[in-house]
Amino acid sequence: MKQTFTIAIGGAAGQGVATPGDIFAKIFSRRGLHLNAYNAYQSIIRGGHTFLTIRTGPEKVTNMGDRLDLLIPLNQDAMNRHLGLLTNGAACIFNAETIKPGAAAEGVALCPLPVSKLADITRNKVAQNTLAVGAGLSMMGIGFQAVQEVFTEQFKKKGEAVVSENVGIARAGYDYATANFKPFARPLPMTGNRYAVLSGNTAMAMGGAAAGVKFYCAYPMSPSTGVLHWMAAHARKAGIMVRQVEDEIGVVNMAIGAAHAGVRSMCATSGGGFALMSEGLGMSAMMETPVVVIDCQRAGPSTGVPTKTEQGDLWQMLGAAFGDYPRVLAAPLDIGDCFKIIPEIFNIADRFQCPGLVLCDLLLSEGRLSVDPKDLDFAPVIDRGELITTVTAASGTHDNGGYKRYKITESGISPRAIPGVPGYTHTAATDEHEEDGVLISDEFTNPTKRRAMMEKRMRKVAGIEAVVSPPALVGPRNAEITLIGWGSTKGVIEEACEILSDQGISANQLQIRWLVPLHGEAILDILKDARHTIIVENNYSGQFARYLRSETSYVPNGYIRKYDGEPFMPHHIVEAVKEQLGGTTRLSVPAHEILV
Amino acid sequence: MATSTPEKPAPAPKTNRIGLSVLDYRGGKTTLCAGCGHNAISERIIDAMYEMGVSPERVIKPSGIGCSSKSPAYFMGRSHSFNAVHGRMPSVATGAVLANRHLIALGVSGDGDTASIGVGQFIHLMRRNLPIIYIIEDNGVYGLTKGQFSATADMGSTLKTGVINDLPPIDTCAMAITLGATFVGRSFSGDKKQLHAMMKAAIAHKGTVMLDVVSPCVTFNDHEGSTKSYKYMKDHEEPLQEVSFVPAFEDIAIDYDPGTTIEVTMHDGSRLRLRKLEEEYDPTKRIQAITRLNEAHEKGEVLTGVFYVNSKTPTFVDLLNMTEEPLATLPESVVRPGREVLEQVMEELR
Ligand SMILES: Cc1ncc(C[n+]2csc(CCOP(=O)(O)OP(=O)(O)O)c2C)c(N)n1
Ligand code: SF4
Ligand SMILES: [Mg+2]
Repeated sequence: MKQTFTIAIGGAAGQGVATPGDIFAKIFSRRGLHLNAYNAYQSIIRGGHTFLTIRTGPEKVTNMGDRLDLLIPLNQDAMNRHLGLLTNGAACIFNAETIKPGAAAEGVALCPLPVSKLADITRNKVAQNTLAVGAGLSMMGIGFQAVQEVFTEQFKKKGEAVVSENVGIARAGYDYATANFKPFARPLPMTGNRYAVLSGNTAMAMGGAAAGVKFYCAYPMSPSTGVLHWMAAHARKAGIMVRQVEDEIGVVNMAIGAAHAGVRSMCATSGGGFALMSEGLGMSAMMETPVVVIDCQRAGPSTGVPTKTEQGDLWQMLGAAFGDYPRVLAAPLDIGDCFKIIPEIFNIADRFQCPGLVLCDLLLSEGRLSVDPKDLDFAPVIDRGELITTVTAASGTHDNGGYKRYKITESGISPRAIPGVPGYTHTAATDEHEEDGVLISDEFTNPTKRRAMMEKRMRKVAGIEAVVSPPALVGPRNAEITLIGWGSTKGVIEEACEILSDQGISANQLQIRWLVPLHGEAILDILKDARHTIIVENNYSGQFARYLRSETSYVPNGYIRKYDGEPFMPHHIVEAVKEQLGGTTRLSVPAHEILV
Repeated sequence: MATSTPEKPAPAPKTNRIGLSVLDYRGGKTTLCAGCGHNAISERIIDAMYEMGVSPERVIKPSGIGCSSKSPAYFMGRSHSFNAVHGRMPSVATGAVLANRHLIALGVSGDGDTASIGVGQFIHLMRRNLPIIYIIEDNGVYGLTKGQFSATADMGSTLKTGVINDLPPIDTCAMAITLGATFVGRSFSGDKKQLHAMMKAAIAHKGTVMLDVVSPCVTFNDHEGSTKSYKYMKDHEEPLQEVSFVPAFEDIAIDYDPGTTIEVTMHDGSRLRLRKLEEEYDPTKRIQAITRLNEAHEKGEVLTGVFYVNSKTPTFVDLLNMTEEPLATLPESVVRPGREVLEQVMEELR
C-alpha cells in the first residue's frame, strides 16, 4: 500500500478553513509531494459545517483515501462529528480553551493547544487555526524554514506587519508542538518534483485557453462557477472575451452566436442551467455550429444539493435537445484530464461541426490535485476542420448562390464559411434546410430532402467514432473482478483495485472517458472474458449501467452505487466487492461514514 | 447608302455609391401571405440598404422564429442570415457581433418572438447598446401559429373568433428607451415614406436601434375589432414628426427652420431631420419620450416617429474595447495565450 498522509480540517463556514488548507497544500506541493483535496461544504455563506480533507504522499494520490492522520477541528461540532473517525497513530490538534475532546480510540494522540497563552487572540481571530497549522507541520517533521516561506507568501499582499504576526503565531504553535506532542511515526518525505495544484474548474478553463477559446460566457451556478472566475480573472492576460449573461438560455445562444461567427466558444454550467440550454444545443446541432458546453454535475434533481457531488446527469446529456443529431460527450477522468479533454473535444466538435459536451462533476470541478505542469500541453494541436474564414486561392470564390453550406458529402461534413466572407454568404436556419441553407418548408416539406439532410448529418457519427479511441482495460487480464466506472471515479476505483489485490482478490478496471461515441463493440470485446463485472457509479439508478445495456445489451454481475452527495472512498468499493463476491447481494450502496 | 440606325443601348442599371444595383439587395421569393405587412418592411429594408450603399456581405440578418423571423430569407440574399430559435435572437446576435465587430447586424423579430417568449433576452439586449438594428414586425398576434394574441395586443382588441384580449399591451418602445436603447421609434408598414427615412437613419446610427413597426397580419388580425389592422392604423396613426434623412455622402445643404424642425447629426455625419408636428417634443429627452408614450396609450393613439435618439453613449463593442481585428479571424499564432502566459499562471499555482 502506498504511503499517504491525510489531514482533515473541520469547522463552520466563515471560520477560516480555507487558509490552513491552502498553506498545507502549498507546503506539500513544494516538497514535491502529490496531493488531493476535497472540501465537503454546504450552500451557506456563514455557519453550517465544512470539512476539508487533504491527502498527500510521494506517489500519485487520486482520492481522499480511507484514513485520517491528523484532525484539526475548529469548533466543538467538528470535534464531536469526526474524532471517532481517527484510528491508531492519528492525532487531533485542538483549541484546549474552547473545545472538549470526547473519547478517542486507542492510539489516537489528543493534542490540546493553550491558545491564549501562545497568541494574542484578541488581535487575531484565527490564531487557533494558525497555531494548529504550525503544530501539525512540526509533528510531520517539516523544517520551519519551509513553513515560514509559505506563510510569508500567503500573507504578503496584506503587508509586512500581517506577515510577521502570522509567522510569529505559526512559530509559537510549531515550537509548542515540538516540546509537547509526539511526532508522527513517519515524517513526510521530500522529492525533487514541483507540482502545481489545480482545481478541475481551473484546469478546464486553462484547457480552453490552450485550445484557443476566444469567447466564454456563463451564468453563475455551483459547482461550475470556478471556470467563470478563472476566465474573468485572466480575460485580459489570455485575450478571451468573457461575459456574464442574464441566464443560461442567453449563455448557450450567445456562445453559439459567437461560434457561428467563427470563434471557439465555450460555456459551463450545472444540471439546472444545462436544462435551460437544451433547446439552444439543438440549434448548434441543426446549424452545425460547434460549441463546447461543460456540465459540472451536482446532486439533483432540481436545486438538489448544490454543494455535493453526483454523476446524475448522464441521461440528461444523452437526451439533451430533441431530435437525433451527432454529438460528442466526454467525462474527464481526473483533474489533469479536465485540462486535456478541452482541446481534444474542440478539435472533434470543430471537425465534425457538432456540439461537444463535457460531463464533469463537483468532485473534480472543486477538488484539487497536484499536477505536473510538464504533463499539460499548452500548445495542443488546433484543428478547426473545414472552416472558410476568408476568400483564398484555395477556397476560391463562388458566384453568389453557388456555395452550399450544407453540401451533401460522404463524410457528412460540409465546408463551413463564417458570416461576412464574400461569395459564401448563406442562410443558416434551425428549420430543416436544403444544401444551400434555404428552409425546406419554404417550398413544400420535401421528404426526400429531409431524409437526405438527416442522413448527411448522421453520417458524421461514424467519422467521430473513428477518431476517438476506444476504452482499455487496466490491470491483470484474467482478474477475478472487473470494476467498470466512468469519469471522476477513475482514481478511487484504481485504488480499490490495488487494495483488493493486496488482499488477494485480483481486480482490473475499465474506465469510460468517452460516453458518446461509446464504442460498444470494443467494450463487449473487453468484457467477454471478464469473470465478475461490477459497475461503480455515483448515482441512484445506475445511469451508466442502463446506458451500457441499451447500447450493447450487456448486463454486469453487480452494481455499486452511491447517491448521498459524497464521493466514494476506496474502502466503500472494496467492502462492496467482497460483499458481492460472497453472493449476498448484487447491489451495494455503501454508507458514508463522515458526516458532513 | 443604307444608313443603319444604331441600336439603342440598354440603359445601364442604376447603381448606388458602391456600384450595386437594387437587385443585389433582393432576396428569395417571399412565402408570406400576399399583403402581409412583413413583406412591405422587407421592401423598405432593401431600399434603405441600397440607397445607403451598405455592402451586403457585411450584413448579418439574425432572426428568431415566426413569420416575421422568416422574412430575412426574402431580402438581401447576398447577406448571411441566421434563423435562431424562438425568442433567442438577441443573445445569438450579441455573440456574433462580439466575435466580429465588422458585421452589420440587422435583426428581425416578431411581437411574439420579442415581447412574449423572448422578453428577457430583449431586455438584456437593450441594456447593452449593442450595434444592431432590431426590428419588431408587430402584428399583435402569433402569425405562424395561426393567430393567437401576443403581448403587444391592445386591451379589448378581438380575434376573428371573438376572443377579447384582457391584458394591457407591453410597449416595446417605452421599454427600450427605459432600458438604454439609443435610437427608438415606431412606424407602420403602410407608411412608406416615414419607414423609409427611419430605416436609413437606423443604418447611420451606431448603437442599438429599436424599431417597432406595426405590420398587419392579413390572415389573422386585419378584421374589425383588431387594433393592428390596416384600417385601424390609417385611422389612428399619430405621427410625432415628419421624418426625413440626409445621408452624409449626399452633401446637400437644405435650409430648415429650427423653430419647426429638429435636426439630429448622426455618427457618420448624416442628418436626421424631424419636422415637428408637436411643438414641445424633443427626441433627445428620454423622460419626455417615455411620458409621451404613456400619454398616447391613455389617449388611444398609435404614436409613430422617432421617439428617442442618443448619439453619445458608447456601443457595447466600444465599451468592451474589442480589438479591431475580429476575434473570429485572428490568426492561429495569436488565437491562444502564449506559452509564457499559461506557464506563469501555473507558476502561481505551485
Ligand atoms: C420554444 C417554442 N415555442 C413555441 C414555438 C411555436 N411558435 C413558432 S412562431 C410562434 C409565434 C410567432 O409570433 P411572432 O413572433 O409575433 O411572429 P409572427 O408570426 O406574428 O410574425 C410560436 C409560438 C416555437 N417555435 N418554439
Ligand atoms: S399569417 Fe399573418 S404574419 Fe404570417 S405571413 Fe400571413 S399575414 Fe403575415
Ligand atoms: Mg406577430
